[in-house]
Amino acid sequence: MSDGGRESERGPEKPAPQRKPGGEEFAQAFVKVAVAQICESEGFQSFQQSALETLSDVTVRYIRDIGKTAHVYANQAGRTESNVFDIIQGLEDLGLAQGFLGASDIEHCLASSGTVRELAQYVGESEQIPFAYSLPQFPVVKDRKLTPSFLQIGEEPPGEHIPAWLPAFPDPGTYAQSSTPNDKTTELKMAKIEQENQRRKPERSLLNLNQWLASNELERPSSVDAGDDAKAKQAAESNPFLAAPLQYGEKEVSPVVLPVKTKLSNDTTTGNPIVKYHGMDNHVSVLEAFTPNIEAMKSGLRDSEEGHKKVLLKTRPTVQFKLGSGKKYLGSMLDSSPQNKSFQVTESWFGRLNEKDDKKRRAEQILKESVGNLQELDHL
Amino acid sequence: MNHNKQQSSDLGHDDDAALSDFLASLMDYTPTIPDELVEHFLAKSGFQSPDLRLTRLVAVATQKFIAEVASDALQQCKARQATVVRDKRDKQQKDKRLVLTMEDLSRALHEHGVNVKHQEYFADSPSIGMDPASRDE
Repeated sequence: MSDGGRESERGPEKPAPQRKPGGEEFAQAFVKVAVAQICESEGFQSFQQSALETLSDVTVRYIRDIGKTAHVYANQAGRTESNVFDIIQGLEDLGLAQGFLGASDIEHCLASSGTVRELAQYVGESEQIPFAYSLPQFPVVKDRKLTPSFLQIGEEPPGEHIPAWLPAFPDPGTYAQSSTPNDKTTELKMAKIEQENQRRKPERSLLNLNQWLASNELERPSSVDAGDDAKAKQAAESNPFLAAPLQYGEKEVSPVVLPVKTKLSNDTTTGNPIVKYHGMDNHVSVLEAFTPNIEAMKSGLRDSEEGHKKVLLKTRPTVQFKLGSGKKYLGSMLDSSPQNKSFQVTESWFGRLNEKDDKKRRAEQILKESVGNLQELDHL
Repeated sequence: MNHNKQQSSDLGHDDDAALSDFLASLMDYTPTIPDELVEHFLAKSGFQSPDLRLTRLVAVATQKFIAEVASDALQQCKARQATVVRDKRDKQQKDKRLVLTMEDLSRALHEHGVNVKHQEYFADSPSIGMDPASRDE
């Protein structure tokens, strides 16, 4: 804080407001200037910033205190406007800490108060220091555009109970709805549309990705794409995660074993291709992606006699294990199937993991129960 | 009692006259704090007065207050400079610059009933507490 202050010269500079200027800042800045001028006349050559701010803050509080006290005294006397005696009383109150002549005299007339005399002395002795800037009248009062009354518009107020000098009503177009469709059907439609949209979101992103990959191969004359390319390159240089994705065949990767069951499930055909790309995009709910699997599993449990469905259960290998929340469902589902012995190993693996977490175990139990219920229903 | 009353009433007249003279003289004297500023802050606390003399009265009172505080701080500053030991005769004997510091100000304000406490330092940059020569100030 002691890094020297501003110098107060003949023309004191206005402090530059760093923050967004509000109403208070404006007045405070001027107070700082005035306080600096007074201090300069006392003999100070420079100030610390914080000291100047503190003193100007004290000044503002002093003015407000005088005003408040004077107002209180005026109210006590039953007036709304203060007069000179209210101010003198206020000054006496504030000056009691410092003390003035005749403070202990309780019966004196206010006009001869010690504060006034000291003030008169001060005025007589000190020289005038005019303020450095010319101040406009503030705060500026904006002219409000009032709503015109019925009379002014020339309208007849609707209804006899409304007098004509009241402001007119706004245009009916501003508050009335244009058309009122049938509520329930639209709601249903909206719900359906939303569902579809949610399903299509990953599909859309996938399509975009495919398009982008495809168009990357061709030369594109359009400037927008070139800009994207340049940006992608720039981004790739700075951040390896933003690098352009590799084309098919550019890099040798291990082949991916597609699960067989994807051909078997019928209803959610749009959801299936998403499963492959699932590792990249975690925002699409894992549950959503696995609903085909789970549903297929459920259907597989019900028709467990059919041979080809067994293939479904057996060929559910390691791919799904990598994704977190899928484990619970798969683990619990697998537990309940009595036929698959090949999964006992995996089940024990699950078991080990689930031992660590109580909550997971509980969730598993709940799911087991629910699947158990399903089986019971089947038996019925 | 009567005599006193008469005296006081005479004095009252004199005092009233003195007061009105004083208020009239205020119109000649331009306080350093401009009228609009004082009016703005007085309005904030609910003070209403169409009389300009009252505004001037408040402005002058504030100016006097600030001047008193400043003079007290100046005395503190000079007292401190007097006690500083002069290192060499070759150097300038005293730092002639009079700077209003927070320390002097807080002492001066304390006498007037305003308690201002100032932080010694803020540890908001890595160079705090380091060798002053190497610091950027």
